[in-house]
Amino acid sequence: MTTARFDELIHPSTRLSIVALLASTDWAEFSFVRDRLELSDSALSKQFTTLEEAGYIAIERTVSNRRRRVRVALTAAGREAFDGHVAALQAVIQKAQSPVS
Amino acid sequence: MSVPIGESEAHFALSSIERRRQQVIAEINVPPWYWFFLAGGWVLLGLLADFGPAWATIAATVLFGALHAGISSRVLSGRRGSPQLSIRGDLVTRRLPALVIGFLLVMTAVTVGIALVLNADGARHAATWASVAVALLVLVGGPALVGSVRRHAERTQG
Repeated sequence: MTTARFDELIHPSTRLSIVALLASTDWAEFSFVRDRLELSDSALSKQFTTLEEAGYIAIERTVSNRRRRVRVALTAAGREAFDGHVAALQAVIQKAQSPVS
Repeated sequence: MSVPIGESEAHFALSSIERRRQQVIAEINVPPWYWFFLAGGWVLLGLLADFGPAWATIAATVLFGALHAGISSRVLSGRRGSPQLSIRGDLVTRRLPALVIGFLLVMTAVTVGIALVLNADGARHAATWASVAVALLVLVGGPALVGSVRRHAERTQG
């Protein structure tokens, strides 16, 4: 069962979008995330560094057909943090909608 | 648990999460080359049935079936429609491979049916014409089938 836990690191809009996108994938390429979020390479790299340092994502760099590829995946810790954050957001809404006793 | 946000911000965050999930669901697909591979193989088998010796038709059918079995397990999950990502299994229905295989079995029956009708009507090269017709159906119907699975996922996920 997921424990609701508001995550200050994930919550900012851009990072929330990145983690939400990765949560629906096993892995995604840097270019996929960049294009869907309409971010510059440098802006996305900065966010990835923050998430990687927190242990929420793993970044794998490979060379295929002479092209550099960067694959990003949510780690188990990142997935747990994301699930907890979603549960916390849902709890906020439930609490606001429940009748005051 | 102390949460430093209000209801409206929580709603906004959850809708943002849902929007990103929909962006991934939009990538559910079977690679386009798969349908061209099938259509090409279908026409080739039809041509062989009309113009080749029986042993070549049998050998080509077995080879085509083996090739298909080899690639279908990878591509029919719908999770690798784009080379840019691998979609999580829980977002894609497990029935997709069964739906595609069922579709192909129906197409096989349609091919035989058309060929028999054409043959009874005295048409020359009945197997070729039947396979061309069904190859076109595969090119149109295959992507349409996957599209309907994707739309179903969009409606039911989240």
